[in-house]
Amino acid sequence: MNMFRFNKEQSVVNVAGVKLGGQPGELPSVLCGTIFYQGHNIVEDHNRGVFDRKAAEGLIARQAELSLETGCPGILHIYSRSIEAFSRYLDFVDGVWTGPFIIDSADAATRAAAAALVSEIGYADRAIYNSISVATDEAEALAIQGSEVDSAIILAYNPSEPGVDGSLAILETGGQICEKGLIERAKVLGFSNLLIDPAVLPIGSGAGAALRFSVAAKARLGIPVGSGIHNAVSSWSWLSERDKSIKRSCDASAAAMQLLSAADFLLYGPIELADTIFPAAALADILVAEAVRDLDIVPAETHPLHRLV
Amino acid sequence: MVVLTKTACGKKDGDMTAEQKHDSNGCLDPWPPVRGDYHVCDPMARVAVVTLASPITVQRAAIFGQCKTENLGVEKIVANVISNCNIRFLILCGLESRGHMPGNTILALHRNGIDGQGRIIGSDGAIPFIQNLPVEAIRRFQDQVELIDRIGLVDALQIEELIARYSQISEPYPAEPFQVVKRKAVTRLIATGPGDLALGAGVFMDSSAWIVLAGE
Repeated sequence: MNMFRFNKEQSVVNVAGVKLGGQPGELPSVLCGTIFYQGHNIVEDHNRGVFDRKAAEGLIARQAELSLETGCPGILHIYSRSIEAFSRYLDFVDGVWTGPFIIDSADAATRAAAAALVSEIGYADRAIYNSISVATDEAEALAIQGSEVDSAIILAYNPSEPGVDGSLAILETGGQICEKGLIERAKVLGFSNLLIDPAVLPIGSGAGAALRFSVAAKARLGIPVGSGIHNAVSSWSWLSERDKSIKRSCDASAAAMQLLSAADFLLYGPIELADTIFPAAALADILVAEAVRDLDIVPAETHPLHRLV
Repeated sequence: MVVLTKTACGKKDGDMTAEQKHDSNGCLDPWPPVRGDYHVCDPMARVAVVTLASPITVQRAAIFGQCKTENLGVEKIVANVISNCNIRFLILCGLESRGHMPGNTILALHRNGIDGQGRIIGSDGAIPFIQNLPVEAIRRFQDQVELIDRIGLVDALQIEELIARYSQISEPYPAEPFQVVKRKAVTRLIATGPGDLALGAGVFMDSSAWIVLAGE
């Protein structure tokens, strides 16, 4: 369905040289693989950040290779349980990854401390804060306001009104539960590079709304959008009992569907999925670029259309 | 989308599923009504077990499983517990899911309920909201079950000892099972504008209404 051109001007966010956004078919999709996630088998101690360095290096290198081959830029999504772990991860990543990375943790204090750390050591321009949401309280806000990180993902989850309208409301006005919209709040906190994540609910609980929301958000706001559509796949109980090849086909399908629904980037889940996701995304990018060829949209030089066809 | 709606069992709800009835065993048939990451052992048992973020397997509970989120996961637990009158105790054990704090949130929900916006009062979780349960369901949850707070306990044998202990000291809740239903999403007509997506050849799409318009 993504064979269209938005009337509203589409902003392009540039994080350490990686561009996200624009009209569908213009820029290659940006693909963010998660490493050191909860349950990642290369991590021996999530609290201290002890892990198999060789295995991690291999996974990161593979994402980089696929990025180079397809033209779809990669971002490293670093999940940390604690600031001690994040510090170790970052120290390692510094030697093996030169592109942007996402700061993420279920613990707000860890996220905020990570933002402070990357500012202190001069990596703030490579970092994307994940995320600003209804859960961002004053303590977290104060902490990140003092950092130099200026890129953030805004999680458009509206717990009091799930669905497209509620997600737009939480971004624009705050809906019924925030005093102001999350976009305005993110700007006040010092973020100028904004990315929107529709918040993918479990399958059966409204996961599909993320697809329609992605189109609506870009049409209305002109801000880059992307999602963790992988969550829909991994939450599907029926699929969990199927073979690995079937699961991978669903991962690829979900990624392509999200990209066809106007997404500019994907939080594609475990970085081990890179071999599944990059080809699927490249295919989606090529088809979209061909579909909008007569809509005055020119694919970027690095687009998969130029690399793989 | 699964929406857990107004449900006092026996009362007619517009979209009540015909195939789901309460049986003479004190629970809905089939039970549990809401799908999730759980295992059913004995629907007649008095004890349900939430192992939070820890993948622990136990015996002789009515139902056991993990809960990692402070909103949708908690809703599913409430819906499945109150639809079975045999369950009188809910053991919270296993390691807490950091940031989300579903164990803390279940305790807060049981103790304090929700405010007018659906926020669970007193929860330390990140986004502790109930979207899909009526207030009556929460009151029923508060009345029907007693929470056994053993958050942090990961030893399956010790958890089974608790199950055995609490299985012997209660009777089924003296009411009908509280039924949850699948409600169809509300459909509505949306006024369309001139379209904010151009598909070429004079065809536009209104992204709010999700309608494709063909020009003259």
